[in-house]
Amino acid sequence: MATIAYEPRRPNIASANVQLPAVPDYEHVDDAIIATLKPTKAWFAMLMTAIAALGLGVAAFLYQVHQGLGVAGYNPPVMWGVYIITFVFWVGIGHAGTLISAILFLFRAGFRTTIYRCAEAMTVFAVMTAGLFPIIHLGRPWKFFWLIPYPNWRLLWPQFKSPLVWDVFAILTYLTISSTFLYVGLIPDIATLRDRETNPVRKRILALLSFGWRNTEREWRHFARAYLFLAAVSTPLVLSVHSVVSFDFAMALTPGWHTTIFPPYFVAGAIFSGIGMVFTIIIPIRKYFKLQHFVTINHLDAAAKLCLATSMIVGCAYLIEFFIAWYGGVQVEQDFFWNRVFGQWWWAAWIMITCNMILPLTLFSQKLRRNPAWLFILSIFINIGMWFERFVIVVPSLSHEFEPWMWTTYAPTWVDYSILIGSFGWFFMWFLLFVRQLPVIALTEVKEIVPPRLKHAHAHTPANAEDFEPEMPGDR
Amino acid sequence: MTIPVETTNGVKRRDFLKVLGVTGAASTMVGCSTDQVEKLIPYVTSPDHTVPGVSNFYASTCRECAAGCGIIVTTRDGRAIKIEGNPDHPVNRGAVCARGQAALQGLYNPDRFRGPMQRQNGTLVPITWDQAIDALHKGVDTAMKSGKAKNAVFINQHEQGLLHTFLDEWLALRGMPAHISYDAEAPFATVAANRAVYGVSWPKLDFGAAKVIVSFAADFLDGWGLPVPQQLDFAEARGRIEGAPRLIYIGPRRPLTGLNADQWIPAAPGTAGSIAKMLAGKMSAADAAAATDIPVKILEGLQKEIASAKPSLLVAGGTGPRALDLATEVNQLNKALGNVGVTIKPAESYGAWEGVVPPAVLNDVVAAMEAGEVPALFIRGANPVYSTPTGLGFAKAAEKVPFKVSFSTVPDETTALCDLILPDHHALESWGIAEPVQGTLGLQQPAMDPVFNTRATADVLLASLKPAPCFACPENPAEAKQHASDVSKFPPDYRGVVAKHLGGNGNLQNALPTGMLAGSLPRRTAPVAKIMKPAIVGEQNGDYYLATYWNLLMGDGRGANKPWLQELPDPVTKICWQTVVEMHPETAKKLSVEAGDHVTVKTVAGTVTAPAFLYIGVRPDTIAVMVGRGQTAAGRYATGTGHNAWSLLPASNDQAGGYQLVGVRCTVAKADGHTPIVTTEGSGRQHGRKIARAQTIEQFRAGETDHPHTFIGQAPTEFLPGLRAPVANDAQGELGDPKSAQRGEYDPNHPSGRAKRRWAMTIDLAKCTGCSACVTACYAENNIPTVGAEWQGPQLFADRKFPGANITRSREMAWLRLERYYEMDREYKDATWDPAHHPEVRVIPMMCQHCGNAPCEPVCPVYATYHTPDGLNVQVYNRCVGTRYCSNNCPYKVRYYNWFGYGEVDRAQYAFPEPLHWQLNPDVTVRAKGIMEKCSFCVQRIRDAETLAKVQNREIQGDEFTTACAQACPSRAILFGDAADENWSVTKLIEDRRAYHVFEELNTYTAVVYLKKINHPAPAGATA
Repeated sequence: MATIAYEPRRPNIASANVQLPAVPDYEHVDDAIIATLKPTKAWFAMLMTAIAALGLGVAAFLYQVHQGLGVAGYNPPVMWGVYIITFVFWVGIGHAGTLISAILFLFRAGFRTTIYRCAEAMTVFAVMTAGLFPIIHLGRPWKFFWLIPYPNWRLLWPQFKSPLVWDVFAILTYLTISSTFLYVGLIPDIATLRDRETNPVRKRILALLSFGWRNTEREWRHFARAYLFLAAVSTPLVLSVHSVVSFDFAMALTPGWHTTIFPPYFVAGAIFSGIGMVFTIIIPIRKYFKLQHFVTINHLDAAAKLCLATSMIVGCAYLIEFFIAWYGGVQVEQDFFWNRVFGQWWWAAWIMITCNMILPLTLFSQKLRRNPAWLFILSIFINIGMWFERFVIVVPSLSHEFEPWMWTTYAPTWVDYSILIGSFGWFFMWFLLFVRQLPVIALTEVKEIVPPRLKHAHAHTPANAEDFEPEMPGDR
Repeated sequence: MTIPVETTNGVKRRDFLKVLGVTGAASTMVGCSTDQVEKLIPYVTSPDHTVPGVSNFYASTCRECAAGCGIIVTTRDGRAIKIEGNPDHPVNRGAVCARGQAALQGLYNPDRFRGPMQRQNGTLVPITWDQAIDALHKGVDTAMKSGKAKNAVFINQHEQGLLHTFLDEWLALRGMPAHISYDAEAPFATVAANRAVYGVSWPKLDFGAAKVIVSFAADFLDGWGLPVPQQLDFAEARGRIEGAPRLIYIGPRRPLTGLNADQWIPAAPGTAGSIAKMLAGKMSAADAAAATDIPVKILEGLQKEIASAKPSLLVAGGTGPRALDLATEVNQLNKALGNVGVTIKPAESYGAWEGVVPPAVLNDVVAAMEAGEVPALFIRGANPVYSTPTGLGFAKAAEKVPFKVSFSTVPDETTALCDLILPDHHALESWGIAEPVQGTLGLQQPAMDPVFNTRATADVLLASLKPAPCFACPENPAEAKQHASDVSKFPPDYRGVVAKHLGGNGNLQNALPTGMLAGSLPRRTAPVAKIMKPAIVGEQNGDYYLATYWNLLMGDGRGANKPWLQELPDPVTKICWQTVVEMHPETAKKLSVEAGDHVTVKTVAGTVTAPAFLYIGVRPDTIAVMVGRGQTAAGRYATGTGHNAWSLLPASNDQAGGYQLVGVRCTVAKADGHTPIVTTEGSGRQHGRKIARAQTIEQFRAGETDHPHTFIGQAPTEFLPGLRAPVANDAQGELGDPKSAQRGEYDPNHPSGRAKRRWAMTIDLAKCTGCSACVTACYAENNIPTVGAEWQGPQLFADRKFPGANITRSREMAWLRLERYYEMDREYKDATWDPAHHPEVRVIPMMCQHCGNAPCEPVCPVYATYHTPDGLNVQVYNRCVGTRYCSNNCPYKVRYYNWFGYGEVDRAQYAFPEPLHWQLNPDVTVRAKGIMEKCSFCVQRIRDAETLAKVQNREIQGDEFTTACAQACPSRAILFGDAADENWSVTKLIEDRRAYHVFEELNTYTAVVYLKKINHPAPAGATA
């Protein structure tokens, strides 16, 4: 089926209007979105690239397991490096999804409708990626299960006071809930796919996955309730997971880590980076699959405002850190912050500040907010900036602690970089596979805001009923 | 007649045994293979006193330098595993330096000769001892027949004892001249001046009796003289606080003694003699100031101080061209000041340098070898090819000798030239004797069976006499008879030689457990040397003076193949595995050189291109380079590590015949390339952190204190007594909760009694000199891998292909490190030169502080680190998964991580190549890849003492045992014990007014208590 190019009849205007004026009917929703499931050469090329990157990462990891962590760039006392940075980076990315799908759902923010599926899938895959890193970074990764409280005859338990154990719980919980949430939202859409599927085997699988969805009133009622409850359950997790991740740092007495501001600062940063990644993903998808009339400029505009808001929270947190370092009067802390921004690590700190504080300020301009190309470019800067934010948190602190005799430097090696690249390969591999198997825009929820088609000659139509089949759907 | 016995059916017992025997033999035959059979259990019937798992101790004498310290060698199941000082020995009183401890790595050196070797077609091939002795006999025979036997040369590494006498007797029997007792490290100028003025070669220097000590370029804490006794005395004197001597160091470079000095007077190279003359009244202060390039006010202050502070102690140890003048002047000054007999005690002289021959004799030897006059060259222990100035040309000359024999245990540049290698036992495998202090003999006994197929040199020489009839006398029965009678005078072996001297085997046997005996040895007069003219400053070109020196670790090069010594940072520069060109930051600025940039140093003798190192303790007109590294054929750790500073030295001697190490002129130019400095130093300044604290003596007298025992928010001390330190019971969970009903061993009433103790340590910074002997003790005791060898570096990094690569990434594993801080307000590169003002230096040993409230404990997700009831913060290696969070949370940064499999045989990074791993302490785990490790307060020793007390049904006594670092410490600065038991000495020092904890503001409640250093500024009137 050829893609029907429905050009918007009139330009999007700056408004909070989140309707989809250019989407005429349900059939178009199904047709246009399910068209994304067709494999293309470019898709295969991207998938192969992702798998190659993953292969590089896996090879580097195996090499590291064999040789020892010394092949990575660790420079004691910088005992944490690229792996923990990348872990926090991916956990952060994994935040926007649940924020968009759960919190914005509860707040009835309409702009989430077309981007939430994408963001939610991104969340699951990002958390899957993040979860690998604490294991990759272990000295003896084959013993990672010792962090899990499993019954054993030696009565050995993990140390429940360790933030790393909290991490295990936080991340596993988050992964469970966010993937459940994703899946539940997908059920009616899978049923749609099932109905259109001709291949009997796939049809069977889809039937199983949709739990035999029959589109009954009762099913819809249960579905809506379940979705609402899950949204309510997920909402605190959005705040808790990254708070717990921030405890990895905040619970230590390392200068630059030991601050109470970390949980809110990390959550804001996570949302910020997640929205950045959403832009990075959704803007090419929308362009490539010609879904501009689904993911409208208005939606992007609204998301950009959220991005701007979180950027300012993050920027504020940066400044407060400085203020407290000065105000607290602890010399070690003051030395450290000076070194972070004007000393040894100035370049990393300024990359962070430029990407996360300064460049997002452009979003005050409506023109730039409504310019997908700029949003995409900015999102790349945000991704880089947020990776460097974590770099600036992890490395300068460890390299400039209490003992001047042990001040060092840090430089990652090819093993670190390969595993970093491999993590992107792993993430995009899953995402690309997802794009080809399941709808990247929620069919059901889009249909909710597209008015149903009503027939002129319907027998039950009251005589005084408006002839309603608008030329531009949603434009009432 | 045999009685026929009725045979019965079946197999008779005897037949069965026969069959069994045949089968057994057959299976043994089948079982024979080239694989080495290893014995898992060493003994079926164990020798007396050998119980598996229980150590035996052998008193012996250290042969790593000439001092002859008494050591106690710990052996376990027949293997020597640790060297400690002999507490009763008059020289070292229980202390031992890093070099002495590293003797074990000479014993187990993986590059040691496995057996005798002979050069055939240019390469050394193994031979049997019979062949070797035959070859030696023939070679000596040929030399004798050549008629030049009187020119033969035997160079022996200088050591005290009877081997001197024996060698001379043997040589005499062969018509050869007396041997040369060579030691490049001997301070000849001082020895000569001592003989001239005091009448003994090395009087006892009583640092404690002096009010002020002036060192004229004598680095008596590191590489000069007898470091251990000097350090013991000095530290003891400084530890008295009240009445402790002030130390002034004079010399162009600030070595370890200079760092410990209260005042450094950086006199220009070779000019310290002017100061001595000034003090003697032979020169005006103004003239001396002009000669030394020192402000006249400082010299006048010194003059006043010496005049008023009596008694004083002046020691001279220059290596410049006029070193003998300096030493003589200083000794006479001591006499004039009335110090002799008070601070300098010729009556209690040391025997270290008795019989040592100035290296200047090699001038004649080289000339004779060049002329082809030398028929045979014998070398034992010494390495003159490397450890002589390249300008002397020893190697080239030695090639002309037809028969070159080495008795050395390890390969080096000299053995690489030799035709016949007859490896001696290592000192720890051999008999011997020394007279370290006049009238006291130190015994040397084998601590274990020889590791390799080696033989005592004396025995080899004796054996080579045996194949009579001898070379000269087959036709002459009278001579043959005479020879046989001469030979028969020798005891059958060297042990016999020793026993004979002690009045028989019985006496020897009785004296062995203490390692000492009253008596004296025959003295030997040294051959007279022809002394080369010194390279006088002014006769050469060059913008800078060159000051070469050695430290205690590398010495003249003999320590270079021992990874412990390579890995141990130099106490001053903190550089390991590398030779650097030390220059003042101002010099570097002038040359536009930054630390690590390669520079080329050029003298008349040669050039060295090495990384530049900015050292604020060297004069701007002086370039300092350490000798001892840069060997070409001295084993895997030494070869190619660093650069050879000997190659910068021309053939020049001081007036006493020692090498002239200081005052040669050189040029310095920037060269291509950059190598990161291999150092353990992060920042050399404290940045106001109050880690190493100090007071002046006035402040101490005024009663200034940091109140170590009052903590903010002090919690009740319900758990872990001692130190008055409250302890948060975080890391023990239920067990640590005082209100819990189930406290197990954490209950003070538990039968183990552990919860009644708190192990603690005090470190007196007024005593600590920073010599780093404790670090090596820790390596030896705790199986710490060395990580600096080139092949241990991170793989596949082009920029990290040099020795010490791992250390440039801070991956050294030293559980105990010596931090050295300069009290200055700017980075080294911005330092400026002012001859009158130099930053104060503080050193501080830093190891796990065993915090009562340890930040590392609650963050470990798997309980791999936790708190024991007796206050130890322990690391469970097997439980560690390697999150490294504990290290991140440690403010002291004393946790070390196994980045590679240093303990795995098949890896490039393996730190204990066969047979180095024989040294490993069986009480301590060799840690695996991927886990964290740290100082354990020698927990194995604590548990050992507990077990012993329990077996003997008693309590642990006060000061009953100590940790490895405290045991070795030549400053006696470290003290270990139970802070909760008044019987231990630590409890007194914890109460000291100078006591403090590092980072006490973090509420870590550490178990290590430091005592402030005390500085002694110049008295009023004398300016510093």
